[in-house]
Amino acid sequence: MSAMSILDELAEAGLTGRGGAGFPAAVKVRAAHENRAALIVNCCDGEVGAVKDGWVVAHHLPQVRAGVELVLPTGRRRPPVVYAAHRGSATAARLREDGLDVLEAPPRYVSSEETALISLWHGGHARPMTKREPFVRGGRDSQGRRIRPTVVLNAETLWRVAQVRAHGPAWFAAQGTPAEPGPRLLAVRGAVTAPGVLETAAGMPFPAIFEAARGLRPGVEYVLVGGLGGVLLSRWEAESTTWSTPGLAPFGGTPGPGIVEALDPARCPAQVIAELLAYGAGESAGQCGPCMFGLPSIAADWAELTDAAHPAAFETTLARLRARVGLVAGRGACRHPDGVARLTASALRTLTPHLRDHTHGRCTARSLTHAH
Amino acid sequence: MSGELLWYLSRATGVVSLVLLTIVVALGTVTAGRRNPHGPNATVVMAMHRWLSLGMSAFLITHIGTAIVDGYVTIGWLSVLVPFTSGYETLWVGLGTLAVDLLVAVIATSLLRHRIPERTWRLVHWFAYAMWPIAVVHGFAMGTADQPLLRYTTIACGIAGAACAAWRLVNTSADREQRRAIAAQEWT
Repeated sequence: MSAMSILDELAEAGLTGRGGAGFPAAVKVRAAHENRAALIVNCCDGEVGAVKDGWVVAHHLPQVRAGVELVLPTGRRRPPVVYAAHRGSATAARLREDGLDVLEAPPRYVSSEETALISLWHGGHARPMTKREPFVRGGRDSQGRRIRPTVVLNAETLWRVAQVRAHGPAWFAAQGTPAEPGPRLLAVRGAVTAPGVLETAAGMPFPAIFEAARGLRPGVEYVLVGGLGGVLLSRWEAESTTWSTPGLAPFGGTPGPGIVEALDPARCPAQVIAELLAYGAGESAGQCGPCMFGLPSIAADWAELTDAAHPAAFETTLARLRARVGLVAGRGACRHPDGVARLTASALRTLTPHLRDHTHGRCTARSLTHAH
Repeated sequence: MSGELLWYLSRATGVVSLVLLTIVVALGTVTAGRRNPHGPNATVVMAMHRWLSLGMSAFLITHIGTAIVDGYVTIGWLSVLVPFTSGYETLWVGLGTLAVDLLVAVIATSLLRHRIPERTWRLVHWFAYAMWPIAVVHGFAMGTADQPLLRYTTIACGIAGAACAAWRLVNTSADREQRRAIAAQEWT
């Protein structure tokens, strides 16, 4: 047993949440202790292309469980612990095999957001709730129902907690960058030779990431970092930077939930983004106007841009889409509209020349299916 | 003031209260669900709904107070809040009392709206749809047949209010339909 408390160890290690938001784990766990909060372990892999939570459950479940024991407050009455996974997923089955209490979330994008899981666990819809104050202190949902103090921690985060205890904060802090310490998982997918989950750390140069996946397939031009709530980079932009907050900041991105996808060179990138935006619009929980109306409008504008046949119409739609992208961020109960707006803005930056080519009947990816 | 004058005052304020209440209910039905109207108009309609309801309370208090103190008919103070305790027209006065009880609950929860759960406020506010018809029946039954103007006013209120409530039921909006469609998807 270490002489330091787990809170001090986590603070010294500099562990941040691995679910995407990157909130300091020590602050969260301290608040959970103070409120004797229930714990939801998020194993949903809710982001588009995310697989690392399932990977952690498959390979390191005993360590995750050890992490859970470390972050629970000591004392006679143990707060409830539940493991959240998508209904019908292999991860849910594996958690159940281990005899754990599983919260089965509907397999949808916003349902794995932390407040959506808290709502679901309280018998409500798996739809995000407005955080009047953090739910670690308890609160009420929009219907006025009482929500008990609840904290949500990502599966990888809890594995890292166990590692901090096992190897010490110094071991942890020595990896990654001083600002973003510790090992991190990264799902590498798409047009690479060997897709999979990479055990890496912040600050890894993208060429090294692609090398670890045994190289990009020939002809790759675009890289999506962070899924639906991420950013689209040209391959050359990606290869000039590192997978870290400062490395991705110039492009509006963050390491986020740990996903890098090389877009299939055989497919029109504008079409790939169109499909992502259409999916994102369909995943709105229909609660906040800017999301429920804004995201379908953004998706429709993007579809119009990819199909525009006249340069004048293209410029009109482009101006309208740019205005709309600025209108949805920060105006929802959750960050879903922010993520879609971020992806749209980055795709506009990266793909506007490609989209302009479309208006002249050209597409660099020749599998373009729509007629010109 | 003679008992007879008070009795006339009570009847007059009763009719005015019913007219104002009907306007308040009508304004409520057009704003409920945030369908119509939009923008600055919504603010005006909402403010009128709120302030007219409080203005109506002044007429209602006069109506109740004068009905009790006039001495022309015997209605005790108990009948202000406890229904069916009046010696005079037990049933019809009792309906008026019932409407007052519901109105007190609706107004009290609205004044406390920011301190109580939204769904509690909403649940109580739905009782306005019970309170208003009870008030109309009370007004119609108590309005004497020799005063057709009073009776026609009550009937006009009934028709106008019922039309607004019916409009509220059948009217749809893209906003509400979409929220409903999304809420009907798989969320649990």
